[in-house]
Amino acid sequence: MRFHRTTTLILLGCIALFGCKKKEEAPPPETVAPAPVESPTPTPTPATVPFKVTSIDLGKAIGPDKKVTDPTTTFGPKDTIYAVVSSEGSGPDVKLTAKWTFGDKGQPVGSEDKTVTPNGSASATEFHASKKSGWPVGHYKVEILADGTSAGTKEFEVKK
Amino acid sequence: MANEEKPDFSDVELGSSSTLPTPEPEEQTYTIVSGDSLSKIAKHFYGDAGRWREIFEANRDVIKDPDLIYPGHTIKIPSA
Repeated sequence: MRFHRTTTLILLGCIALFGCKKKEEAPPPETVAPAPVESPTPTPTPATVPFKVTSIDLGKAIGPDKKVTDPTTTFGPKDTIYAVVSSEGSGPDVKLTAKWTFGDKGQPVGSEDKTVTPNGSASATEFHASKKSGWPVGHYKVEILADGTSAGTKEFEVKK
Repeated sequence: MANEEKPDFSDVELGSSSTLPTPEPEEQTYTIVSGDSLSKIAKHFYGDAGRWREIFEANRDVIKDPDLIYPGHTIKIPSA
């Protein structure tokens, strides 16, 4: 009889113990199959186009949009010469430089810098040069540099 | 004797403009308004009122006493 009571007590103790322990156990891993993951629709991100010079145009006049309205590569001594740098893209500030030279030996005429902040839109930056006493007749070049790297050269001529 | 004379380009005038924005100039200016102090201006531009002395030093020509600044005066704000 005593044996039976002892066994019963041990059994009850075990049940109590396991009953308590079970609450402490980590929950069983979920067996529910995960819902099928829909492949995310790719969100179109605006393509970041790095800054680049797309063209260099010469002319005698520009419009409000800074574009050449009178394109030419032949100028008179009293003309103002416009070199318009068209560009696109975005990125950090860019220093555009126009280096004007004269003749085959590249005699420096002058150099002008313009630092711009590319904003992604198509844009135009104009450089102009004039000479009060009149341009000497001959062949000239204007080289455009972007952050010191040549982006193109245009030749032009001054005739009487 | 062939003396190749180089043209004189000293009177050439150059210029430029762009449809693109140009970066902020390194040194800004600020016009003092009533109630301003150098500390307040330093706090506004630098986020640190303690940097008032930098503004004072940059404007020694117009500010004699850092405690006396006058509304309407335009002062230089050195780059942060």
